[in-house]
Amino acid sequence: MLTVALPTGRVLNEGIHLLDQLEMPTKGLTERGRELVIEEGPYRYILAKPMDVPLHVTYGVADLALLGSDVMWEIGAPLIELADTGKGKCRVVIAGPEFLAEKFIGHKSELMWLRVATKYPNIADRYFSSRGVQVEIIHMHGSIELAPRLGLSDCIMDIVQTGNTLRANHLKIFETVTPVSLRLAASIKSVQTKWQELSGLLDKLRAIRS
Amino acid sequence: MSRLPRGCTNVGGHLASSMQRCRSEMISLMHSYGYQTFWPSALQLLETAWDRLPSSLRKRLITLNTPFAEPCCLRADITLAAVSYLSSHFSPEERPLRLCYADRIYKTPVRPDTYLEGFQVGAELLGWEGDGADTELIFLLLQSMDMVGVEDSFLVLGDVTFLQDLLFDIDKEIAKALVSALEKGSYAEYYSLLKLGRINTAQAEKLSRVPSLKGNMEILDEAERLLDDRGSLRSLRKILSSLAEMGFKDRIKVDLSLVRELNYYSGPIFDIYTRRHGRSLGGGGRYDGLLSGYGILGQAIGFAIDLELIASFSKYTEVEPSVMIWAGGLSTGDVIAQAEEIRVKGHSIEISWTPSREDSIHLAKMRGLTFWIELPESKVIDMNTGLATNLAKWVE
Repeated sequence: MLTVALPTGRVLNEGIHLLDQLEMPTKGLTERGRELVIEEGPYRYILAKPMDVPLHVTYGVADLALLGSDVMWEIGAPLIELADTGKGKCRVVIAGPEFLAEKFIGHKSELMWLRVATKYPNIADRYFSSRGVQVEIIHMHGSIELAPRLGLSDCIMDIVQTGNTLRANHLKIFETVTPVSLRLAASIKSVQTKWQELSGLLDKLRAIRS
Repeated sequence: MSRLPRGCTNVGGHLASSMQRCRSEMISLMHSYGYQTFWPSALQLLETAWDRLPSSLRKRLITLNTPFAEPCCLRADITLAAVSYLSSHFSPEERPLRLCYADRIYKTPVRPDTYLEGFQVGAELLGWEGDGADTELIFLLLQSMDMVGVEDSFLVLGDVTFLQDLLFDIDKEIAKALVSALEKGSYAEYYSLLKLGRINTAQAEKLSRVPSLKGNMEILDEAERLLDDRGSLRSLRKILSSLAEMGFKDRIKVDLSLVRELNYYSGPIFDIYTRRHGRSLGGGGRYDGLLSGYGILGQAIGFAIDLELIASFSKYTEVEPSVMIWAGGLSTGDVIAQAEEIRVKGHSIEISWTPSREDSIHLAKMRGLTFWIELPESKVIDMNTGLATNLAKWVE
């Protein structure tokens, strides 16, 4: 049996669609109630909060997972990133009120001690540190885009797909930190013990992508 | 309530007992194969450690100054200390040299880990030019796993020279990026690099096979077809054949995408896993590069495994059957003499000096002990069934 961890929320439907394309059974997933563990044929699906998905894989609870590259980089847990599925595309950006735009065009010293609200404190730390800029990172778990309006932060680092939420909150994108997409990842142990099954899925994924 | 510094831990209770039993069995096994115990200093001079440690470990060093104002680091790995000791305390004629150790290591944790401290058990074999050394070390590793009850463990073997050979003619920058992608475990990044067009099609085709070179010994045939010099996998083939002869065939897997720092490791490398955990329990390999840093030409191989993890998957995770002996007002000398007679029969004992019979039974229950002995009555009570037996009969 192959255990697959899937993130709840935004990308779940896209993930289920991908599983369909990979010829994995998804009836139980599409018709699920409140169940978080669903067994279908030779697969067991675990539905988890996106930030918890890498931990299921790292500790060997799940053999395989679909997870956003943003989550992978934020959590940094040891696992094997098998492939970029090309699904769930979006990007992590720095955004803020229009008047702040000049700071991001000017010398990096302008950015010193900006307050940045984000749900990605590790990515934010690495991003600004690599540029030699010290910022104050405010770790939030939701409604990040409200932070500048409420005076909680100067700007935000957040994920953006269409940009509608940012526009609705009068925020402008200053920089793209990294593109994001849904990745197929496996546990280090499962790569050794279940390579046949995993490589079969990888071949199917390559066929879909080409 | 007193607390420890963040990232530190005291290990006590049942886990500590399990760790001690695993440590004791593993070290005994290594002793019986001629490995001498080594207790390394907790501090290493930064000036000697820095250049010799793999860069991945350098980033994780915990540095400090001694009261003598010497910049140091807490040992992040025992291999370096062991090699340094062996290279400076023994003459070349005394080789091969064998060391084993079980001690704490200290390094900045990598998520999701949070502890600065860990426990390593390991062994090093220096100065034997041949495949026997690799097989001996791997055998000891598998044997020690069996002894402590981690019989579902399996070994994944690779060889860094395979990738070195495949990357020989490739642009150094792109070769480094490819190795880095494999070290990070990102096959997605590895394949993207191959598609950049900076490698000719034939080489890219060969390199694209690397992550898939996983399986049993037969995978070596396919791997050799990718190489100009088919001899570079000879060592690995010999080790695999020897281990198969010894009955370990089903517990060995090959993965030629397994890489470690290429300037540190120099031949076969390996990781050990249990099917009950998602990550490696430890690993090792041949590190002739480190040896040459000490001016010694020759072969060195070692392994180090996480004692805490091994203990948590070992047969010692269950509370071991043990006995509480209630003194019940008898003379101290008599109680200890009788307790010793019971202990030498192979039982773990705890003497209860309380005058209260009820308190003693209550404590035995709390401890989860298997038997409670009432010395004045020469009676043994099975704590699970409540049945009583005569002490002399029970001891026999």
